[in-house]
Amino acid sequence: MSNSEPKIVCFSCKFGWGYLGSEAALSSQVKNWIPIICSGKIDAQYILDAFRQGADGVLVLGCPEGDCHFQDGNVESKKRIYLLQKVLEAYGIEPERVRIELSLDPEGKKIPELVKKMSGTVKKLGPMKVLASR
Amino acid sequence: MAGKPMVAICWLGSCGGCDEAVVDLNEAILDVANAVDIIFWPVAMDFKYHHLEAKRDGEIALSIINGHVRNSEQEEVAKLLRKKSQLVLAFGACACFGGTPGMANFRTKQDVFNWVYREAPTVVNPKRNYPQPKSKVNGKELSLPEFYEKVYALNQIIDVDYYLPGCPPPPDLTANAIYAVVEGRLPPKGTTLAPDKALCDTCNRNATKPSRISLSDIKRIHEVEASPDTCFLAQGILCLGPAVRSGCGEACMNINIPCRGCFGPVQGVEDAGAKFISALAAMLEAENDKDIRQLIEKIGDVPGYLYRFSAPVSALSQKQV
Repeated sequence: MSNSEPKIVCFSCKFGWGYLGSEAALSSQVKNWIPIICSGKIDAQYILDAFRQGADGVLVLGCPEGDCHFQDGNVESKKRIYLLQKVLEAYGIEPERVRIELSLDPEGKKIPELVKKMSGTVKKLGPMKVLASR
Repeated sequence: MAGKPMVAICWLGSCGGCDEAVVDLNEAILDVANAVDIIFWPVAMDFKYHHLEAKRDGEIALSIINGHVRNSEQEEVAKLLRKKSQLVLAFGACACFGGTPGMANFRTKQDVFNWVYREAPTVVNPKRNYPQPKSKVNGKELSLPEFYEKVYALNQIIDVDYYLPGCPPPPDLTANAIYAVVEGRLPPKGTTLAPDKALCDTCNRNATKPSRISLSDIKRIHEVEASPDTCFLAQGILCLGPAVRSGCGEACMNINIPCRGCFGPVQGVEDAGAKFISALAAMLEAENDKDIRQLIEKIGDVPGYLYRFSAPVSALSQKQV
C-alpha cells in the first residue's frame, strides 16, 4: 500500500456532477467512479460494501444544499455519513475515509481532482483494515 | 428414557438470563421434560463435560446454546456440542449476534484487562497482575481459559442451524422452537425462529407514530417522563423499532422503555446498524452542518446505540489476523 495508490470509490450525483462531460472520458480518468441519481441513494450499507470489497476511501459528491432535485437527498446523505463516521471511529477506522462534498460541476472537471485529493488524505492514513468477509 | 430426543442446553459467555428464560417456560417446562431428554444443562443440572464427550457424534438431537464466545473454553464447548449434535440453535442475542458484551469489540483486549484488573476504582491489585492462561502455584501448574482479542457470535465459531434472538428470548418462541425440533416441523436451515416483521408493525403505540418523524432534539428516556402509550420517536426518544425484528412481545414498550434492538435486524438485513443509520438520518431534523453535528452529539454513543447487540457481526468487524 505504501507505494500503490489507495482505492477510492467515488459516487457522484448525475444531477450536479459531470452531466455535460463525457462519461467515458471521466471513467478513464477516475477508477471506481459510480455516477448515481441523487446522493440520497447512498445508503450506509453501500459504503460498508465498498470498504468490504477493498476500498480505502469513499467520496460522495452531491448537489449544493437547497438544490437537490428530490428536495433533500443530499442532506439525507450528509446526515448518514456523519452518523457512519461515528461508527467507523468505534471500529478503529479513520472517519476521514468517508467524505461528502455538496457542490456543482456539470463538466465534471473537478471530479478527478477531488478523487486525487481524497487519495492523498487516505494515503497518509495508511492501508484500510481488512474487514471480515461473510 | 430411550427414544426421546436428547437436548443439551449450554451457556457460553452469558449472564444466565437465557437459561432463566428456559425456566420461564413455567409449567410448560414439565411437558418439555416429558418430550425430550435433557442430557446437559450446566446451570440447572449436574453434568460434566466428560458426559458430553461420551456421547456419539450426532447423538444429541438439539443443542440450545446461549452466550457469545470470547475464550478458549467457550470455543471448545461450542465445538464439542456441534460435533455431538444434529441441530444447533443459537439462543439469545449474544449467541446470535454477540450481544451487549459484543460492544467490548470497540475496545482492545488490553483496554479491557487494564480497566478490569488495574484501573477500575474498586480494584485492589498491588502487584498489577493479569490473569494468565498458565501459572505456577506451589510448584504446580494451574491453567485458565485463554481470553480472546474479541467477542464472537456463535456462527463465527461453529455452524449454526437456527437462530432465536432476544435478551432473553420470550417463552412462547422458546417453546415453539423446542417443539419444532421434537415434532420435526423444521424450517430451512439458517432461519430465525421469530416473526419477520419490524417491531413498529406490531407495537401498540404504532397508531400514535406520525407519518413523518422529525427529531429536532433528542431526549434520553431517564430525562423525561415518557407517555406510556405514545410512540417514543414522536416524543423525541430514540427507539430502534423501525429497524428491529418483532417477536419480543413488546416487553420493553410495556414497561415504558424504548426498543434497544435485542431481536436484531429484520429478515434480509445484514448490518443492523447501517440500516438504522438510514432510518435515523431521515428523522434528524437539521439541515446545516453545525445543526446536524450538534444533534448527533446529543445521541451520545452512536455506535453503542446502533450496535448495542450486534457489534461483532457488523460488516465493519475486522478480519482476525
